[in-house]
Amino acid sequence: MIEMFEMEFMQRAWLAGLIMAVICPLIGSFLVLRRQSLIGDGLGHIAFAGVAGGALFGYSPVLSAAVATILGALAIERVRVKLSDAADMVLAIFFYSGMGLAVIFTSMNKEGGFNLGSILFGSLMTVSSRDLLIVAALGLCTVLFVILYYRPLQYLTFDETSAKVAGLPVDKLNMLLAVLTALTVALSMRIVGLLLVSAMMVIPVACALQTAKSFAQTILQSMAYGIIAVALGLTTSYYANLAPGGTIVLTCTALFMVSTLLGKKKTGNKPAPTPCAHCKVCEEEAKNEG
Amino acid sequence: MKKIIEIKDLGFDYGEGWVFHKLNLEITEGDFVAVIGANGAGKSTLLKMLANVIEPTIGEIIYYGTPISEFENWERIGYVPQNPGRAQKNFPISVREVVGLGLLKGNSLIHRFNEEDKKAINEIMERFDLTDLRYRKIGELSGGQQQRVFLARAMVKQPKILLLDEPATGIDTAAKADLYAMLKKINREQGVTIIMVSHDLELAADAAQNALCLDHGICFWGEVHAALKHHHKHGYFYR
Repeated sequence: MIEMFEMEFMQRAWLAGLIMAVICPLIGSFLVLRRQSLIGDGLGHIAFAGVAGGALFGYSPVLSAAVATILGALAIERVRVKLSDAADMVLAIFFYSGMGLAVIFTSMNKEGGFNLGSILFGSLMTVSSRDLLIVAALGLCTVLFVILYYRPLQYLTFDETSAKVAGLPVDKLNMLLAVLTALTVALSMRIVGLLLVSAMMVIPVACALQTAKSFAQTILQSMAYGIIAVALGLTTSYYANLAPGGTIVLTCTALFMVSTLLGKKKTGNKPAPTPCAHCKVCEEEAKNEG
Repeated sequence: MKKIIEIKDLGFDYGEGWVFHKLNLEITEGDFVAVIGANGAGKSTLLKMLANVIEPTIGEIIYYGTPISEFENWERIGYVPQNPGRAQKNFPISVREVVGLGLLKGNSLIHRFNEEDKKAINEIMERFDLTDLRYRKIGELSGGQQQRVFLARAMVKQPKILLLDEPATGIDTAAKADLYAMLKKINREQGVTIIMVSHDLELAADAAQNALCLDHGICFWGEVHAALKHHHKHGYFYR
């Protein structure tokens, strides 16, 4: 086990993976609970267009992906507010347009300039110190954002209308959340790949939803599930010589199955009984059971 | 009595004709108004405008002498939307967390609950008989219990005006009676002005003082028992 950490590239892979395991579910908690689970995937399509465009016009792929995803996320957010009834359809149009643009840019590019495999599936084992620094800075910004604005974010995730009535700057918070989501997708793509970023944003949160009883528990548990998935996934991939990204995603799926069983066991698979303040029969039953 | 809400020449159009037009109304402090009318008459639209969720197409709403666009004291206004609990059935949030959200204000973005806040949350939960349910997920509660939670969330900051959008929808008759009794107490004992969209004029009549009937404009505005009498005789006040 120790031998795995002796190599510098593995240390960087572990650090990058663990940072992703914290920030993806942290942002993902808000997205999943707002029923925007697929937004990470969609932004991935747009990021792909950004990378392809950057390679074609001679800009840094990460920078062009970041610009494309931020613009895409802000546009999607505006459409979500304006056309809430048709939001999923408009979202799909954005995604496919991103993919279309990526295909056109790629076909126009005769000189290469990016590795499609590493964009889609990441290359955790080739994470450089610079990559690690960028992800650590993003992680710090994300954690600070959520810690500082935790309660307003909780309010607008749960009941956006009432948050607006309370006078909270709902539009600004939504925009900030969209920008952070976009940055998470774009900056993590080199490390864990576009497919893994969105999986890490959704599956650990889905696990936490099976077992958590409150909003705070959902966020903390989703990060814990993320960390377990990355630790188990990286260890398994190292010893079984498997692709780390795919192994982490499959570990997440296995954890989801375990958490579903745990959740069922916890609630007995039925709603908890409702205490009745005024009913004599209930009082008697409670006494007998007690 | 001091007038606290003025509605002047208010009109709203979703783009398919006027929902209502040239609405003029004054609401005084301590009033309890039941807003009634057929489906599509503009009841919820009016309430959303009062809550500043949507902007009027024409006209204006004035709170305490200040036009709504410049009004900043939103902690004076409590709002309970329609079916908030049902819309978020599987949301992982505890009763205590929901009630605590009511303390957030526009200028308190970085909000940490201090001892005073915690005391206010505990007191309001005690008052609304929610203490035993505080760690339960909101989706696990019955419709009546959920409505008490959302009412507690609106009341935790001690508002002067309470806006309720069909609070009794989806709850059983006994819970409805409890809810209206609770609202009556809030209005009479604390002097909170209540504007409530309702379909149950019969049940609401005991709690409310005045009724506002909408049918693309005001078709009745006055004492609730007069409205009830008319309703028994002729149904809604169609113009």
